[in-house]
Amino acid sequence: MQILPDETSLLRLLQLADSALPVGGSAHSYGLETLAQEGSLAPENLEDFLGDYLEETGALDAAFVRRAWKRGDLRALSAEYGARKPARESREASLKLGRRLAGLVNAVFSAPVFEPGPTGDAFGGRTLVRAGLESRSGSEAEASRGLKPALHAALHYCIVFGAVGALFGASQDATALGFLHQSIAGLVSACQRLMPLGQSAAARILWNLKPAIVHAARCEEVWCFSPYPELASMRHGSLGTRLFIS
Amino acid sequence: MRLHLERTRFHVLQQDPPWKVVRAFSQPAGGSLVHLNNVSGGVLAGDRLALEVALEAGAEAQITTTGATRLYRHRPGAGDSEHSAVFRIGDGARLEYLPDPVIPYAGSRHTQRTTFHLAAGASLFWWEVLAPGRHASGEIFAFDRLCFQSEIRARDRPLLLESFLLEPAARPLTVTPRMRNYSYLASVYACQEGRAPAFWCELEDRLNNAAKEKCRPGEALWGASTLAADGVVVRGLCASNRFVSPALIDFWRLMRLAVTGEEPVLPRKIY
Repeated sequence: MQILPDETSLLRLLQLADSALPVGGSAHSYGLETLAQEGSLAPENLEDFLGDYLEETGALDAAFVRRAWKRGDLRALSAEYGARKPARESREASLKLGRRLAGLVNAVFSAPVFEPGPTGDAFGGRTLVRAGLESRSGSEAEASRGLKPALHAALHYCIVFGAVGALFGASQDATALGFLHQSIAGLVSACQRLMPLGQSAAARILWNLKPAIVHAARCEEVWCFSPYPELASMRHGSLGTRLFIS
Repeated sequence: MRLHLERTRFHVLQQDPPWKVVRAFSQPAGGSLVHLNNVSGGVLAGDRLALEVALEAGAEAQITTTGATRLYRHRPGAGDSEHSAVFRIGDGARLEYLPDPVIPYAGSRHTQRTTFHLAAGASLFWWEVLAPGRHASGEIFAFDRLCFQSEIRARDRPLLLESFLLEPAARPLTVTPRMRNYSYLASVYACQEGRAPAFWCELEDRLNNAAKEKCRPGEALWGASTLAADGVVVRGLCASNRFVSPALIDFWRLMRLAVTGEEPVLPRKIY
C-alpha cells in the first residue's frame, strides 16, 4: 500500500481527514440516531457494529473514493453512487457534505476547482457543485493546469474527497484510508452525543478499528448489504426528537 | 425465455425448459397477466436461466410466478446457478413484476441479475422478497453464497443500483449492520420516468406513514424513501413471511393508486 509522496501531502491529508473539517459532518448520524433511540446500538456493541459497518458501507465508500481518484467523469460516478444509496436522508447528507467540501477546496486553492451549479440532486436541488478534475498527476500545479471547463453536477462527499486527494498528490490508498478514518471518527463522535460513551471509550473504539479501516479501504468492489441501517435512515424522519439532520 | 408485449397482444418469442408461460390473462383495464412457471420446481446447480421481456410503447403487463423460486443445494463440480432477467419498458408502457419469494436452500450458490430499462414516461412496479431458507423447518441463512445485482435505469440514468454478496458463513447476516434479528428482506419499488420530484417526496411521506403503522419491533420494520430520481422504494425486514405479503400488497396498492390513479388488480393466486 503506497501512502504519501511527501510530508506536505501528509499534513494536507490530515487536515482533509479531520472529522472537525468545517463541512457539516457533525450534523449527520446516517441513521445511527434511530438505532440508538431504539436500543439497537449502545456503547457495548458500538465497536462490533462499526467493524461490520466498515465491511459493507465503508467498503462501498472506499471503492468510490478510489474510482473518483482515478476517473475523469465525476458526474457519472456520483450518479452511480447516489443510486446505490436507497435511503434519502443519508444520500442527501452525502451530497451536502460533498458540496461543502467542494466549497472549502475552492477557498483553500483560491481557484474554482468546484463551482456551484444551477441544479442539484433530483429531490430539492440543495446540493450544487461543479467538477472538472481530470488531472491525476500528483502535482498541484499539473492538476490545476488539467482543470477542464466546469460541469454542473451534484457530487457526493466520497467523490469530491477522492478527486481532491488526487489533486493534492495523496496516493489512492492514502485517500481511501483518510476518507474512511474521518467517516468512522465522525460516527463515533455522533455516538458520544447519542449514548453514554465517554471520551476514553470513544478513543479506544476508534483505535481498535484501525485494522478494519485498513481492510475496508482496500476494497475496489461495490458490494454493499446494509438493510437495517438503511431502514434506520429511512425511519429517522419519524423520530419524535432528533439531534441530527440524518 | 423472451416475451414481447404490444398494446393488445402478448407473444412468447422463445421458451425453453424449465420455464414455461402458463397463459396470458386479459386484465380488466386491458393489460396482460402472465404467469411464469418453472416446471422443474426450482433452480438446480449449474442452471442458467435467462428472461428477456420487452414492452412496446403503451403496453401494460403484470408478470408473476406460480410459486416461490427455490434455489437447490449446490452440487460439487457444478457451477453456481444463475438467473438473469432484463426488462425493457417502452414509452408510456407499464410493467408490474410481482414474483414470489426467492428461497435459498442450505448449501445453495446462486447469482441473480435483474435489470429494468425505462423509456420516456414508462412506469414500473416491482417487488422482491428474499427468504432466509426453509424457514418453517428452521433452516435460516444456511446457503453458501448469494449474489444479487439489481438495476433500474430511466433513459440510462441510474435510479437504483444494488449489489449484494451474501456469504453467511464468512459475514453473518444476523448483525446490526446487516439484518440484525430479522430473516426476510422485502422491497417494493414504484418508478415512472419524468414524474416531478415533488410527487415522489409526497408519496414517500404517505408511504412512511403507512410503514410506521406496520412496524412491530422484533417482527417487522418498514421504511420508505425516494430513489435517486423518478421513483420510490419501501423496504422491510421481517421475522416471518406472514408479515411480508400483506404489507407488500398494501404498499403496492398505495403506490399504484398514487402513480396511475387506478386500483390495482392482484395476480390470480392466494397470498
